[in-house]
Formats: sequence, structure tokens, C-alpha cells
Amino acid sequence: MSAIPAELWQWLIPALAVLAAALRLIVDRGGGASEFTLGPIVVVLPLAVAIALPHPGAAATLLIAGLVVAILARDHGDLLQSECALKLAWVLGGSLALSIAGSELLAMVTGTRLNAEQWAVLGAPIGPDDLWRVALPLSLLAGLVLLGGAPFHFWPADLFQGGRSWAAPLAAAALQVSGASWLARRLSGIESLPEARAVTSNLLAAVSGIAFLVGAATLLQQRRPERRIGTLASLHGALAIAMLLAGNGPGSEQWFARWSAHLAIGLTGAGLFARFLPVTSDVDPANRRGSVLFRRHPFSAIAGLLATLSLAGVPGTPGAAIWLEAARALAASRHSTLLALLGLAWLASFATVMRQWREAAGIPVRAPEGVPDPGVPGAARAALWVGAAGVILLGASWLVS
Amino acid sequence: MNLRPDAKAAGTALCIGGLALLMQPGALAWALREQPAWPLDTMALALGIELISLAFWCWARASADAEHQLRRWIWLRRPAQATWLAAAAGLLIPWTSLYAAAAQWLPVVAAAAIVWAGLELMAALPLARPYSDLSGPLLVMRPWLPALLPAAGFVVLWHSGELWTEVAGVREIAAALLLVTALLATLRAFGRRQWATALRWLIVSESAIAATLIATASLEPTIVLLLWLGSVGGRAFMLAGELRGATPRRGATLSRLWRVAGWAGSAALSWPLLTALMARVESTSFTSMSVAALITVLLIAFEFIAAALAVILTTYVSVRRVVPAAERRRVMRPDPALTLSHLSAFLTLSIGPGALAIAFLGGARFPWTPALIASLPAVVGGSLGLLGRKSRAPLVAGFESAGSRTRRVARFAFRSITDLERIGVGMLQRTGRAVLAPLRDLHTGDAQEYVLFVVGLSVLALVLPFLR
Repeated sequence: MSAIPAELWQWLIPALAVLAAALRLIVDRGGGASEFTLGPIVVVLPLAVAIALPHPGAAATLLIAGLVVAILARDHGDLLQSECALKLAWVLGGSLALSIAGSELLAMVTGTRLNAEQWAVLGAPIGPDDLWRVALPLSLLAGLVLLGGAPFHFWPADLFQGGRSWAAPLAAAALQVSGASWLARRLSGIESLPEARAVTSNLLAAVSGIAFLVGAATLLQQRRPERRIGTLASLHGALAIAMLLAGNGPGSEQWFARWSAHLAIGLTGAGLFARFLPVTSDVDPANRRGSVLFRRHPFSAIAGLLATLSLAGVPGTPGAAIWLEAARALAASRHSTLLALLGLAWLASFATVMRQWREAAGIPVRAPEGVPDPGVPGAARAALWVGAAGVILLGASWLVS
Repeated sequence: MNLRPDAKAAGTALCIGGLALLMQPGALAWALREQPAWPLDTMALALGIELISLAFWCWARASADAEHQLRRWIWLRRPAQATWLAAAAGLLIPWTSLYAAAAQWLPVVAAAAIVWAGLELMAALPLARPYSDLSGPLLVMRPWLPALLPAAGFVVLWHSGELWTEVAGVREIAAALLLVTALLATLRAFGRRQWATALRWLIVSESAIAATLIATASLEPTIVLLLWLGSVGGRAFMLAGELRGATPRRGATLSRLWRVAGWAGSAALSWPLLTALMARVESTSFTSMSVAALITVLLIAFEFIAAALAVILTTYVSVRRVVPAAERRRVMRPDPALTLSHLSAFLTLSIGPGALAIAFLGGARFPWTPALIASLPAVVGGSLGLLGRKSRAPLVAGFESAGSRTRRVARFAFRSITDLERIGVGMLQRTGRAVLAPLRDLHTGDAQEYVLFVVGLSVLALVLPFLR
């Protein structure tokens, strides 16, 4: 396994995510034999490419955002999808516009678009510094919104609840990876200007702190499994912001590569799995029986569960390494408050996921006579197994390396 | 071929695996020997508790009253979660910058989390205090299963003794909570008529006393473990015997032997604790008139009184409640002269005093006066128990009638305290729900609100730099 180069893993994992999406698409299309059944999968291929590329550029980010909105807006009859498309269009459009305005303002102040030159110009005390102090946080806004950390945590949850299960996980992962790249690109070389670094450090610390705290509280309150997966995605966005703040050097680069691969396969597996779980309810006696997936296909359920556990950072899963590395970076860089908030978010994720699967397993009660108890389609189960295989491969490759 | 595991078998396998990890956490370190910097013992404890929690869940969901059982044992995930937190904190400690605030609080978090797990398993936190009143989820072992949990709690605290006893604040709070638990548990054991339930509460009480002994650090951990085994092991055997036709109470000789064994185990466990508590009072505390010294003396006195009362009641129940089981068979079966019950009683009788003897041979020393005073509660409890049994003694008639009244008082005291705790916890939960409710409502708005939100944040981003 160690013989497989890292670049191949970078492409293999998104490819597995696309395969899982294709299998889910077959179920969505009713398993028809038409040659066009898998046609729509073409639209998620650019999303997978965006995840696999090391640093998608600003233009790629705009394209991805547009593509995701277009995928969601295509089905006019589906109100949830349309609403989700509307929200994403307004929020992503607004934030991208503001960020581009901030970047242009910085270019105007410094007379250049290159980061390194901008920091050098801003370092020279030749004029008032109010303008760039405003422009810099504005230019980061799109990255923060795309990462989906609270207070922008509503869109991943909306996407997972409203979007199609074959498209939503890859869309969320692609947008988040683009967000991380947006921030990394904007912040490259900022160490050369301590004032700018101080401004962005304070901003990133505040945003990731709020993201951890609000994300944890939201996760404990949510009842829909899809929204819980969305909030877990937003917590991963918060992890990325924390790592941008605390991480440095090649370790940080490697972490981001692992984070994006894990996010893609984790969200794919967990997003599909969530579609088969019941909504938490204290009063609905129907939930006592547990979900059909656990009742009829317990091993496929365990396969689906693996990706969810990994997203939540449950010890022993690859996701735990992602959470742990971010926590170590925060501990080493003396961000103690953020570390405490990350711990809180991890506890909330862990507890929620454990509660979720126990609720899903329910109580083994036989269906009443004459009531049909249909199983989960084979293609959907295969998709869960593909997600689990991706998570296992990822973990094994990290262990070996 | 049906590959689905039977819930009973799966639960049993998980429980055995969990207990094995709790007893021998080094097994995980042996399996993952390439990771020496990890707190593998704490991770093994966390995994062990997680497996036990999973076992209870498996049994609960397969039981006839699954809904009740699931609700009853759902709290078992909390100790597991707390132990995972302790393990995570332990993982981060070596990586923390020396100058970071986290370097100060991470060890405290690790200690507090592991203590939380141990205390909750030992019914020492208000969240799941009365679980020993209830039977377990697996039909064949229902009355016995809850006794596993305080034992697991003690084992967790025993294995991680170094982690939590070194943090003074955590150690002091844990000791105080454990002593309160010991007292409450003995009150409950005294108040309950059912012998099996009383035994479960005695296990809670004695595990709490043993854990407090770890906190005082007055004896070697191995000696504490032996003392705990001598007392709780005997109770667990008696509880198992109750499920098999009350075998430890068959016959007058066996009952007498168990009475002495129970008393000896309890006395041997409590004596070093009471001595250590008394020895903590420095003679200068009485000469100095400072408020701090007075408060210290008062706190120690409170702890000593709580522990002494717990010991009096435990030894009383141990002696008074072991009555020979009525023989219902017309034709007696020829039993061997020496049964497993005899052997266990003898072991219980010898382990506690034997452990103390080993401690003395190993150099443990206690001051005379505290040691003498510390032996009184067990003697008083045992004597009162014996007195209650001598039905011809002139003192007994009044004592017997007082006994039923005091049992009622004990029941009332326990219920009042647990009710108060429940009200407090309920209020906290409701407050938390009320505070967090808007977070759920936040997601019900329409798209315009979100874009307004982004605009608001952007304006804030514009204004904030000027405020600096």
C-alpha cells in the first residue's frame, strides 16, 4: 500500500466518491435500463476534480459554486432543492462578490495583485492603513462562507437535507475544499507582514471558535440525520480554519490533502447513510422499530456507519487523526481557548453519532403480519460499501505512511 | 446461514471483552506496542467501558421491556465518553507548548474526566444515582448485572490513580463525593428489605470507600485492591448465590461464617480509611484560631462522620441481615461438608485482614490513637447487628421497634436527597434546552434572512477595524 504514490490516493478517493454517487443515482432513477440513467453523473465529475486538485483557483471556485447551484436548481418541481439553490445562490453569490471587492480594494491600495508584493507594499509606512485593514477581512469572507463553519453553517445542512443524495456530498466537499484553498491562497506569505497576520489571526480565531461552539450546540439540538451530517461537515470546515490559523510547514500541507480526501469520502458515505436513518423523535412510536437498513441489512448499516463515525472523529477511525492533528497544532501554537472549543465540538460529534446509530438500530420488533417490509435497494447498499471501502483505504494508507 | 449474532450472546461477548480490558488495560499497549507515547491504558479503559455500555444496550434492546431498559441504561455512554475525553487530553499533553494555558488545564481535564467516569459508574454523581435499585437488562442475570458497574468504576479509578490523585482539587472533590455516596448507599442498603438490593447498595458503598482510600494515598494501590476484593468480592459472591437458591445462607454455620466474613471484609476496608481521615487533622489546627484551620477541621470532621456512619451501617447490615434461608425441601439432599460457599466465605474472611497484614509487613504505620478510634465504627456496627439477633436480650425489644423506624428514616433521607438532586439536574437540563432552542429555530427561516446575515457580517467586518 505504501508503494501507491500520494497523488494516486488524491484521485482514487474522489473516484470512489463518484462511484458511490453513481450507484446512488441508479437507485434515484428507479434502476431503469436506459443508457441515460447515469447521465447526470457527468455534472459531479468537475466537483470530484476540484476535490482532487491540490489548489483550485478563484475561477474554479466560481465555477464550482455556479455548478452546484445549477444542479440544485434544475428540478423545478422539487421545492426543497429549489429553496436550497436559492439560498446557496444568494449566500455564495453575496459572499463571493464581497470578497472579490475586498481583493480588488487590496489591489487598488497596493497597485498589484500578487500576494507577496502586496504584503511588501503594505509593510512600507507610506499611507493610512485603515483601507487594507477593511479590505483584508472582506477578501477572506468567501473562504469562510464556503467552509461552512458557523455562523455560515446552515448551508451544508440545507444542502444535505434538500439536495439529491448522489450530488449533495460531493457538492459540499467541493465547496469546502474550494473555501480552504481560497483562504490559503489569500493568506500565503502573510508572515512577512505581522500587522496583517495579527488582523487575520484574530479573525480566524474568532470565526473558528464560534464555528466550534455553535456547531457543537447545533449538533446536539438537531433531529434530522441529514442535517447532522451537514453540521459535521461544517465542523470540518471549522477544523480547516483552525489549521490555517495554527498549522504551518509541510505537515499542514499534508493535513489539508488528507482533510479534503477524507471529507469527500466521509461525506459521501455518511450522506448516503443518513438517508436511511429515522428522524429523532421523542413521541413517534414508529421509530421504536429502527430503520430498515439496520433491520434488514445490518452489515451494510455498519459499513455506512463507518463513514459517519469517521466524520465525527470517533477513536480508531481515520477521521480521528484529522481531529487529533488539528488539536495538536492548536496545542503547540498556544491557542488554548480554541483547543477547548475543539474538544467540546469533538465531544458533541462523538456523542451525537453514537446516539444516532443506536436510535437507528432501534428495537428488534417484528413487522405486523401483512405489512410489507421492503429492504434497501442493492445499489444503495453497494454505495454504502464503497464509502466504507474508501474510508478503510484512507486509514490504511495513513497508517502505512 | 444466519450470520446475525444473537443479542444475548453479542452482549455477553462485549461485556466479557469490556471487563477484560478494564482488568488488564495493558493488553491494548501490548497489541499496539509501536505507539509508546499514547495513553494506551486510558484508551483501553475507555474502550472497556464503551464495550460494557454496548453490552447493556444489546441486552436492553432485546429484552421484553426494551423501551424501559433502553431508557434506564442509556446513561452508560456518559462514563465511556468521559474516559475518551481523558484519553484525548492525555494524547495532547506531550504536544502542548509549555507556555500555553492548555499546559495547565489539560492535566486537570484528564483527571476530572476519568474521575467523572469512575464516579458515575459508582453512582456518586446525581445523574444516575439510583440505578442499583433497578435490575439489569439480561433476564438470567438481572439482579446481579448492576453490581458490575460500581466494580467497573472502582477499577477505572484504581488503574488511573496516578492520573487523578496528583491533581489536588479533583482529588478532594472526588473524595468528598465518594464519602457522600458511601453514606447514601448504606442508607439505601439499610432501608431496603430485599437482601439482593441491599447487597447491590453495599457493593456501591464499599467501592466508594475503597476509591476514597485511593484518594488518601495511605496504602499501596495493590493493598487497596486486595481490601476491595475482600469486601466487594464477598458481596458479589453472595449476590450470585442469592440467584441460585440463596446458597450462601443455607444452614446456620454457613450463615454465621458469611456474617463474620462480611463484617471482617468491611472492617478491614474501612479501618485504614478512617485512620487516614483522622490522621489528616494536625495538632496545630486546634491551637491556631484561624478561620481556614477551623474550616479544614470541620470538613475533615464531616468526612469522618460520613465515613463512620457508612461503616456502622454497613457492618450492621452485614451482620444483621444474613439470616439462614428457610429450608423448604421435605427430604434433605446430601450436601458436601465443604462447599464453594464455605470456601468463598473463608477467602472473604481472610483476604481483608491478610492484606492489612501484608501492608504492615511492608512498612505501613498508623498512629495509635486514630487507629483505635477508627476501629470503633465497625465494632459498634457489628455489635448492634449481633444485638439485634439476640432476641432474648432485654434491650432488644426497644431496639427492634427502633429498627423499623430508622429504616423508614433511611428510606426518607435517601429519597429526599435523590429527589433534590433530580430536581436540580432537571432544572439545569431545562435551562440548557431553553438556551439552545433558538439554534433549532434559526434553521426555519427563509433565504432572505441568510443573505441579510451575510450582509450584516460584512458590515461588521468593515466597522470592526475602525473600532480598533
